[in-house]
Formats: sequence, structure tokens, C-alpha cells
Amino acid sequence: MTGPASLADPAPRAGAPAGSGAPAGSGAPARSGAPTLPAFARPRPRPRELVLLLAVLGAVLVGSLSLGLTRTGRLEPADPVGFALFAAGLLVAHLVLVLAGRRLDQVLLPATAFLAGIGLLLMERLPQGLVVQEVGSTTLGLGELQLVWLGLALVVATTIAVGLRSDRWLRLYKYTWAAAGLLLLLLTFVFGSEVNGSRLTIDLGPVSGQPSELLKVILVVFFAAYLAENRILLADARVRIAGPISVPPLPYLAPIGAMLALALGIVVVQRDLGAALLFYAVFLALLFLATGRLTDAVLGLILFVAGFLALAALFPHVQQRLAIWIDPWSDPLGAGYQLIQSLHAFARGGLVGTGLGAGLPETGGRLPVPAVHTDFPLAAIGEELGVAGVLAVLGGYLVIVERGLRIAASSRDDFRALLAAGLALVVGVQAAIIAGGNLRLIPLTGITLPFISYGGSSLLANALVIGLLLALSDRGPAPPGPPRPPRFARLRGRHGVGARGADGAAR
Amino acid sequence: MMIRERPLAGRMIGLYLVVVLAFGAIAAGAGYWGVVRADELASSPNDAAVQAAARMATRGRILDRDGTVLARSRRTDDGTPYRVYVDDAVSTPVGYASSLYGAAGLERAYAAELTGQTGADPLSRVLAKFLPPADRRLDLRTSLSLDLQRLAVRLLGTDRGAVVMLDPRTGEVLTMASTPVYDASAVAAPATSKKAFARLQADDATPLLNRATLGRYVPGSVFKIVTAIAGLGSGSVTPATTYPEQPAAEEDGLLVDGYRVRDGHHPFTGSTALDLTGATEVSCNIWYALAGLDTGGANLDAFARRLGFEKPIPFDLPTAASQLTNGGGPMAGGFLDDVELANASYGQGEVLATPLQMALVAATVANGGELMEPRLATAFIDRDGRETTIGSHSLGRVLDASANAAIVRAMTQAVEGEYGRLFTDGAAVPGVTTAGKSGTAQIGGTGEPHSWFIGFAPAEAPTVAIAVLVENGGRGGDRAAPLAGRMLRAYFDRQP
Repeated sequence: MTGPASLADPAPRAGAPAGSGAPAGSGAPARSGAPTLPAFARPRPRPRELVLLLAVLGAVLVGSLSLGLTRTGRLEPADPVGFALFAAGLLVAHLVLVLAGRRLDQVLLPATAFLAGIGLLLMERLPQGLVVQEVGSTTLGLGELQLVWLGLALVVATTIAVGLRSDRWLRLYKYTWAAAGLLLLLLTFVFGSEVNGSRLTIDLGPVSGQPSELLKVILVVFFAAYLAENRILLADARVRIAGPISVPPLPYLAPIGAMLALALGIVVVQRDLGAALLFYAVFLALLFLATGRLTDAVLGLILFVAGFLALAALFPHVQQRLAIWIDPWSDPLGAGYQLIQSLHAFARGGLVGTGLGAGLPETGGRLPVPAVHTDFPLAAIGEELGVAGVLAVLGGYLVIVERGLRIAASSRDDFRALLAAGLALVVGVQAAIIAGGNLRLIPLTGITLPFISYGGSSLLANALVIGLLLALSDRGPAPPGPPRPPRFARLRGRHGVGARGADGAAR
Repeated sequence: MMIRERPLAGRMIGLYLVVVLAFGAIAAGAGYWGVVRADELASSPNDAAVQAAARMATRGRILDRDGTVLARSRRTDDGTPYRVYVDDAVSTPVGYASSLYGAAGLERAYAAELTGQTGADPLSRVLAKFLPPADRRLDLRTSLSLDLQRLAVRLLGTDRGAVVMLDPRTGEVLTMASTPVYDASAVAAPATSKKAFARLQADDATPLLNRATLGRYVPGSVFKIVTAIAGLGSGSVTPATTYPEQPAAEEDGLLVDGYRVRDGHHPFTGSTALDLTGATEVSCNIWYALAGLDTGGANLDAFARRLGFEKPIPFDLPTAASQLTNGGGPMAGGFLDDVELANASYGQGEVLATPLQMALVAATVANGGELMEPRLATAFIDRDGRETTIGSHSLGRVLDASANAAIVRAMTQAVEGEYGRLFTDGAAVPGVTTAGKSGTAQIGGTGEPHSWFIGFAPAEAPTVAIAVLVENGGRGGDRAAPLAGRMLRAYFDRQP
């Protein structure tokens, strides 16, 4: 049912219509006449990525100058070394991608860099004492640590983008991945330490992290593999209830039920509404993509809301979260404090903000929002860069989602399409959940704003997502063999399907 | 087996549309808090920036209604700004602003305006970013009268109590006294701040508590005016309503549900069945208990709410909600039974009211049945002397004018009438028809009752309304009514 598992096959088979690595016309034989070489052997310029990266670096430099000007009154970057390292890292990553010669998406890296750059500026701007780590004899503050994590994240993303050439190990071991995910969840529950009433962090000696960040990637892989295999069954086998309303037969409902139980279980056991909402929303979106049954997704959403309300009636901590959302001002100095301070921050920012470094008033050396670097970075952006800054950040996420779905739409088979869509959505939905929480559109949850929030787990897991998306964006040489329809069929298909993006049209 | 024609691709667009809509909603949310609600939140005294600035900035002045400066900023030798207040007597409404302890009173409520954090629309705020910073500090003009404020504090003396005097036509508060007062200048001055504040917090007399707005007291007979408003307003009683069983019940109590509502008897009215005016003049508990039972819990609750009960009154300073019952009773209005309703009808039971609330009851009757929102701030004055006045605002009509006129007559009789004078002659102002109602609130135990008076003058066209409460002050006619009379006389002496 699915296509072959190979991705950019390093050893192209004879008879493949396009020379590997060479720009191919519409199904025409390689026009460049380049000799068939392994894909990584021949550098391929990425002009679009370079231009966009330079634009992003320019914007971040302006931000750094603005912060420096606010702090010292002189026109100088707030942290010249930090900016230089940030720029150098991105340019090196760009160079590596060029040298690898794969035909990877050229927008994802700059879009991510834009968000990460804003995040870095924010971490440099916040009090450095918020997070302090001793490394040997030196003490690193918030901004420096964020820079270190960003560097590692860049290494992760680039390595996967260049190195991941087969998705076989992802798709074949889907139940192993699911088991690993459940194990991770279990570990968090057993060994996890409680922070702010939620059991999210796991401490293993010197290393601590939030497994739910990694779990989201593992779950997307599992969803994609599972749905790719069963989607026809899920879509076509229906039991009619009344009129147009029908549901899949009971056995096929099991995965939805299991996922619902898992999500609600996370809400109760880990007290992590954000992760539950994220996993579940991405699952529903992929279910819709796989089956085309909008009713199933809507039904699933209604079930989740109903389940959540039922939990709110049963568990005080869920109810309190709901109550704060409905009226934070009922407990302005207690449970509602952070959210109210967040809304005030947006209000102080107004349209264009106070300017970097000029907002976030401290009273008695304390920030109005204590968890601003992890849970409320959008409030800080709203204050210092205004509604305009918030819009820019939201736009950044939309670009990433759009690129991801574009990669998905032009993917060769169902698994890759669902995987790419799921990865893109995991970033977009997570951003939407925490942004909506900060703005009191939905109940507040303690998840991070991808690429912007401080935190190693979050940055590395999201780097994994970007790395996988980049790797998936390389459709490589056309896969050989019988599953691929003849050329005229592909041409027909191209005109028949409207969702093919620029990359798809170039094929 | 053929692969289907990329069926997933078509759905991507739909999915992306959903994501775009979700992000659009978030963008709208950012616009809502960042633009639509921005002024309100960013100028709130709870805003972190306002609080931070309030600690360090020099503030605009606070003036009384005649332009006398009540609060001004000075600087220490090293340039640290601090506040100086004209008199301890204004400490209750004006409050304090301290770099160590934050702010209270008007200093807190208008911190944003006084320290120059507000005053521009979103567009000019954007433009202002490109111009040199402007001094946006505003002076605050209040409706307070320093003279009357001082007099009220002096008359309360060593007693704990509160006086609220306001213009019933506009809601402008002329006096808001709460005793004991405190030395706000000592709290504000850097050198004495810590010691002064610690002493205030340790003081059993709670000088930092604004008794006028936050103190909730058993109102006793002054609450009968609320019962009269509810009875006439709902049509349950008329000014001519009499109860034949009332004279006898004064002797041996009124039996309600097996419980006797008792009253000191009024020897001078003998066996006459009283009407509204008569019952108000001699403060007959039995008549009001019967009228309250006729009116019913639902009507009493509804009219009390119209007068401001059961939720904080909108005001420049924090207010406590006055209550009719402890809530939760099975009867309409939250009463447990008829006994509680009967007792509440003459201001006992579980009724609790703030002096400000009772002043508003008097002001409503004085203003022909319409309740005006009480307020202290009347104008902001910018650095160039331009004045922006704050208009008055109606909280709605409580009672129609003709029914209201009957209550005015009854309250006039209670002060000026043959028997009323026996209770409350101290409240009368020579040459001015005065209306009012005294109250002696039994608080249980061995404590002296709270002494109350509410009233207004001149009865024909009221320009001032007043509420006086003296904690454990004894009979209303003995302590609160004469105090109110002195205040009213001082008020009319001021008028040209």
C-alpha cells in the first residue's frame, strides 16, 4: 500500500528518471547531464536560504542594537559575542546544508532562526539570574545557556537534515516507538519531580529534562505509521448511526479511545493539560488527514472537552485551572496572579511595545511574571515589541506550519505525508496552545513556546522536529519500481491535485 | 495495487486553513489585550509598571474642592521624592504613598494619573515614542472639603466611627472621615516610614481601615428607610398603611412564627395604629416588621440591591459589600424564615451595612429616588493647567418620585416632628428643614449599641446628605444625630 521506504537513496538505481542531486525538470531525464554521484558529494547552492538567513540576522542585529541602546545609551549590540556566535552557527549550518547537496527546504531554517533569534534576545534581556548553571569554573546565565542550547539544537537539526536518509527505522518499529513513549511517560510519573504542581521534569543525576517534549515527536512518528497503515480501513468501514452520521466500527474506534484515555490520563496523573491537549489535537488533525472524516475529528474534540469538564468536576486542580481561566481576577494575588500579570504586560506593550529592555518593570527585584522565560515569553514579547511583535512571531510559526504541510502534500507516500504534517502541526499547535493560554483565550497550560522559551528539552526536541522536516523535504531521486505510476499518470495527477507547492511543481 | 492520487494533499489546505484561523484568533486576542483593553489595564493601580513608578516618581498634587492642597511631593536631600499631607484628618480618603509600603486610598486608586502613566490614546502613545519624554503627571482635584473633613474628625473625637457627607445630586463626596485617623506623612517620609507603619499595623484600633467604605455594621433603625423604599416601591405598602395589631404588639411583642418581635413601647402614641410617617417618626419596630413581612424577602432583596447592597459599591476607593442576610436561606432573598425577615426589616437580623452604603440610601431619597454614583475625583489638571472634569454618573432610579416624596415627609417628621424631636432634635439645622433617621443598633453581648444617623437637608430641595456612625456610641439620637447636626450646620454656614 505504501511506497518504498528509501528516502534519498545514496545509491541511485539504474533507470531512475532523475540524476540524484541534479535539478530535474518535469519528469524529464536529468538535463544537466551530471554524472550520477552520491547525493552528498556535490554542493548545491541554497540562495533563498542565504538571503532569508541574512534578513533574519539583520533583524536580530537591529534588536540587539535596540537592547544595547536602551541599556547603555550607546549604539552597540547588547551582546556582541552572543550575536556573533548566533550568526556564525547559522551560517555554518547553511554551509553544511549546501555542501550536503540535498534538495532540502530552504525556508524552514530561516523561519526557525527568526523565532530562535527573538528568543535569544529575550533571554539576554531578562535578568540573567533566572537560570544559572555552573560549568566547570565558569557560571553561565540565562542568555549564555540559551545560546549553548541553541548551538546544540542547530547541531541536532543539521545532523538529522543531512544524515537521515532512510525513514525505514521510523516506520517499521512503530509499536516499539509507542512502547518507548509510554515508558517515557511512566518514567516521568515514577521518577518525575514536581514543579509548580505538575509532574513534568525528570532528574537523572546532572541531566534533567521534560520528557513530554521528546514524547511529542515519538507520538507523531507512531501516529503517522499507524494511520498510514490503517487509514483506508478507518475511512471506509463505517457503521451508520442516523442519516449522514456514521462512525467506524468499534475495533477501529479503539485508537481514538486509547488516545483520549492517554490524554486525559496525562491531565490527571501528570497534571499537564498542555501536553495532553497538544498530543490529542495533533492526533485528531492527523486522523482527519488520514481518513478525511471531519466528523470523527469534531467528535473527538467534543469528547475531549466533555472529558475535561468531567475531570474538572472530579479533581480540584483541574477545576482551579478552569476557574482561573474563566475569572483570573477572583484570586488576583494567588492563583490568577501570573495570568493577570501576563495580560497587563500585553496592555503595557500596546501596538508597538515599549522597546526591548524598556518594559517588564521589576518590583523589589522581582519580575511581574516569575515564569516569563519558560511559560510567558509571549507576554514579554507583547510588552516590549507590542502587538506588532506578537504578530511577527505568530507569522513565523505559520510559515513553519505552511512549509511542513507543503512538504507533506508533496510527499511520496502516506507515512511521509502524515509524518511531515504531524511534525509541522506539533510546532504550530504547541505555539497556539501556550499563546492562547497567555492571552486567556484558552485555559493556561505550562508548555513552552517552541524555539523561543528557555529550556534544553524544548529546544532539542523542536530541533529534532525541524531536522526531520528538512530530511523529509528531500524527495531525492524518484523511487524506482512498480508502485510509481507512469509519467503521463503523474502529469495527470499533478493537474488533478491542487495542493502541490512550488517544490512539487518543479518536479 | 495502485496508490491513490495523493488524497492527503487536498486535505492539507483545509487543515492549514484551520491553523491560520486559530492563529488569527490569537492575533485578535493580542489586539484585544494590547489595544482594546490596554488603557484600562495599563493604568490600573494593580499594574506592575504603575506600582513600580508609583514608588519612585514624584506625583501630582491632590486638591480639595476649593483648591487647597491635600497632598504634595517633596524631595529629600539626595533627591528621593516623598509625600507630605496637609492634615491627619484627610488620611482616610487620600491615603498614603510610600516607597516601602506601596500606596493606599486615592494615592493608590489614581497612582497612574498622579505619576503620569496614562492619558494618551494608542496612536499618540506610538508618536510619543519618537519625542522627548513628556511630563504627564496630573493633579487630582477631589470633591472633599478640608474644613468639613477636619470638623468631622474633631467631632468623632476619640470614638471610632465614620462620617460620610455627599451631594445627593452629583454623588460628590464632601467628607469621608474614619476614626482613628493616622499620620500619613510619617508613613510617607523615608526617615520615619518603617516605625510609623509598624505602629499602625500593630494598633488594635485599626487606623488603616477605612471604616466608611470597608466597615460593615449592624444598621439598626436607619435601615428602616430601605424597608420603606422596598415597601412603597413594590406597592406592598402605601404611606397610609396601618396595622391594627401594632399598638397591642408594642406591649407584649409581635408573634412571628412562634417568636416574639419586641419593641420598646411608645407611650406618647398610645393605642393609635401608626402609618408610615408616624412609624418613622417614633421609629416603630413593630410597624416596620409588619411592613417588611408584607413586602416580602424578594422585594426587600431587590430594592436593597438597587441601592447598592450585596456587591461592592462602584467608588474611587475599595468598598465592602453590604448584606441583607448571610445568604443561603430557603426563603426569597436568602432569609432563613419570617423571623429573620421581620428583624431585618428594622435593621437587625443579619443585616450589615457600610456607612457609605447608608449615606447612599439617604442620598437616594434626597435625590428624588435616583441613586448617583459616589465619587471623590472630580477633575485632572495637567502641567499646563488644563482641567479635564469627570462627570457624574447615575446608578439608576430606585424609586419613583411620588413614593419617594412620602419617605421625604416621613424622614422630615422624624427630625422636625413633635415626637421625632424627642429623639433626634440634635440633627435639626436652624432655618433649614432637615430630614433624617436615627438608629440604635443592638450588637448583642454587653457592648453599647452603635449610634447611627442618616439624613439630608434642606428637605424641599436637598443639597447635602449625610451618614454618621459611632461605634458603641449609644443611642442614635444622643450621639450620631447631634454630630450630624453640627456637620450640616457647618455645611450651610459655608454656603453663600
